[in-house]
Amino acid sequence: MEKVIIVRYCEIHLKGKNRGYFEKVFMNNLEKALTGIRHEMRKPSGRYVVENFDEERADEIVGRLSKVFGTHTLSIGYKVPADMQSIYETVRSIAPAEGTFKVETNRGDKKFPLTSMQINAEIGGRLLSDIPSLRVDVHDPQTVLNIDVRENGTALVFGGFVKGAGGMPVGTAGKGMLLLSGGIDSPVAGHMIAKRGMVLEGLHFHSYPYTNMQAREKVEELARILSEYTGGLTLNVVSVTHIQEEIHRHCPEEMMITLLRRFMMRIAERLCKATGAQCIVTGESLGQVASQTIEGMTSSNAVVSLPVLRPLVGFDKTEIVERSRAIGTFETSIRPFEDCCTVFLPKHPLIRPKLSEVEAAESKLDVEALVEEAMASLEKVRF
Amino acid sequence: MIYLDNAATTVPDAGAVNAALQYLQPQGFYNPSALYRAGFAAHKAVEEARKTLLSLLAPRGGYELVFTGSGSEADNQAIFSCAHRGNFVTTAGEHAAVYNTAKELEKRGVEVRFAPLLPDGRVDAAALLSLVDKETSCVSVIHVNNETGAVNDIAALSAAVKKINPSAAFHSDGVQAFGKIFFTLGQDIDLYTVSAHKIGGVRGVAGLFRKKGARLSPYIFGGGQENGLRSGTENTFAIKQFELAAQKKFSSLKEDLLRVRSFNAAVRQGLDKNIFRILSSEEASPYILSVSADGLRGEVLLHMLDDAGVMVGTGSACSSKNRYSRVMLACGLNERAADGVLRISFAATTTEEEVSRAIPIINSCAAALAERTK
Repeated sequence: MEKVIIVRYCEIHLKGKNRGYFEKVFMNNLEKALTGIRHEMRKPSGRYVVENFDEERADEIVGRLSKVFGTHTLSIGYKVPADMQSIYETVRSIAPAEGTFKVETNRGDKKFPLTSMQINAEIGGRLLSDIPSLRVDVHDPQTVLNIDVRENGTALVFGGFVKGAGGMPVGTAGKGMLLLSGGIDSPVAGHMIAKRGMVLEGLHFHSYPYTNMQAREKVEELARILSEYTGGLTLNVVSVTHIQEEIHRHCPEEMMITLLRRFMMRIAERLCKATGAQCIVTGESLGQVASQTIEGMTSSNAVVSLPVLRPLVGFDKTEIVERSRAIGTFETSIRPFEDCCTVFLPKHPLIRPKLSEVEAAESKLDVEALVEEAMASLEKVRF
Repeated sequence: MIYLDNAATTVPDAGAVNAALQYLQPQGFYNPSALYRAGFAAHKAVEEARKTLLSLLAPRGGYELVFTGSGSEADNQAIFSCAHRGNFVTTAGEHAAVYNTAKELEKRGVEVRFAPLLPDGRVDAAALLSLVDKETSCVSVIHVNNETGAVNDIAALSAAVKKINPSAAFHSDGVQAFGKIFFTLGQDIDLYTVSAHKIGGVRGVAGLFRKKGARLSPYIFGGGQENGLRSGTENTFAIKQFELAAQKKFSSLKEDLLRVRSFNAAVRQGLDKNIFRILSSEEASPYILSVSADGLRGEVLLHMLDDAGVMVGTGSACSSKNRYSRVMLACGLNERAADGVLRISFAATTTEEEVSRAIPIINSCAAALAERTK
């Protein structure tokens, strides 16, 4: 009786002729998630089975695979010889002590002497006589005991499902540059986009010495958590200190954030071109703060030609917080370090910047030189 | 790098580390509770250290010493032991180990009374004494404040407290005073906290001096070490190293004080008066000098100084929580000034050359920051 893990995928089954491509990327991502753990992975029709691993690591394997986008559900099961006695003993070992149940059989091996219905009846009947406190409920059972008779003379027996991350395999939907601030929103935005299959790189802006090393450490921790979902993540870190100082010196105080956002977008677009990313992803949510108005977004979109994806644009803060908790970034995001130093934060930021005024204010700056200088500060950290 | 953050921690005295290393090595690592000769020798070593430290701080006798794992632990144990009924009187200028313990007591239903500070950082003695009454179970007053260096006259304060209420326990956090200013324990101080790592000791060991008979309860239960007051196998290496470092520090206390006073004066003199305001009073412990660069952010300046080779402390932080020092605000500083606080702190190991090199660096970094954020 060997322990195995069964992985089922989500939307891939809706795919037509290119389904093979999606399956291949998904399997590669599953393999990558298990780096460092001895195992073998097979793909009988429509699902993946992980075998031949150290049984003590089963929960760890399930934990890692459940975070791989494309995973619908997982089960820990057992591989046994496809004979009724072995199957029954295994089902018996995982059956609950009481409550309602049903047995569900999938018979891939059509030569097996019993039909699916006969197997259900036979195994279910024996369970009922062995465990008197069990009852059958075929409509709404508390436990479903699954038997999967395969064509190679083995059967899989399992009960219960672990929910997977859902979505599409990362690597099937292009590449994006995620602006990662250290707050609650941007990791959630990254998670949502990666969930649709996009490969991400992160981009963090710091303003040392106005921000500190703890703030940087926090962002690195967020990138590390995200990387568990995205199959690794490269974090690009760029200093905008001098840009902020120059804006502070030459431009109206209330335009600090508006102008800084434009610089961030320009730098992000340069990095996109350098890394092959096709879009910029941000955690902006309409109206959440002064810079996240439609006018603010228009002003920052105006300096880039690549699409800017804002998956949280229609989300309330409470919804974002909920997702942040679910993906495990919330506790890190709320560590109290400033990410964009308040030394330069205006008391009353511009809520509805007019593009013409923004451009006029910006004309006092040597934009190209400042962007170049910022790009020269680029550091890369890989997770 | 020039290290001027000695109030945070000091470099462990290398001679003391070397001499105490035997307690980490095969010849001396034994458990002091063990009954064979080697264990007994370790026990003797701990008792010897206890005796030495008692002779340094309580030469007239009448005190015991309980080794703890940290100054914070000693403060917690002292206060939780004494302040469980009536009211607890303390000051607005306490270290977090006392302040947050007081906050916890409040949550548990004990009335806590905070005495205000004078602008120079000392507690307002009259106000403190007016808060003490027959219901007061404990009074805790920091000896030398860790941010301003302000020295409270705890001998006089404890005597005055006892006059009002002889049964009130008097505790003082002496972490920044021990081995740095002239002081020995007088009869009215019941409990007094010290810590090794502020005077060349290593972290992980501290002590609570206890007047014989003063109330003290254990908070860590176990094998009954430290007379049942603080269970846990003794850290013989750290305790011995503490003993040796303290011995050395006390033997040069006077010369160190004179030297550090001259460093302090040089910095007071040398800092650009257009940028910096000196916060610590002339009477404060010379080991700690707080200044404020009005309008600049202390932590930003700290990072620039770090890059320029000088390590100092700060009273503000680039954090949405605890942005301003509670103690600085209690001294009457406004938020703008509290934002720009730097703490420059010296040790016996600080050299004149370091201080004279640091002064122009501090001035030029502050000037540069003022220019960059103009």
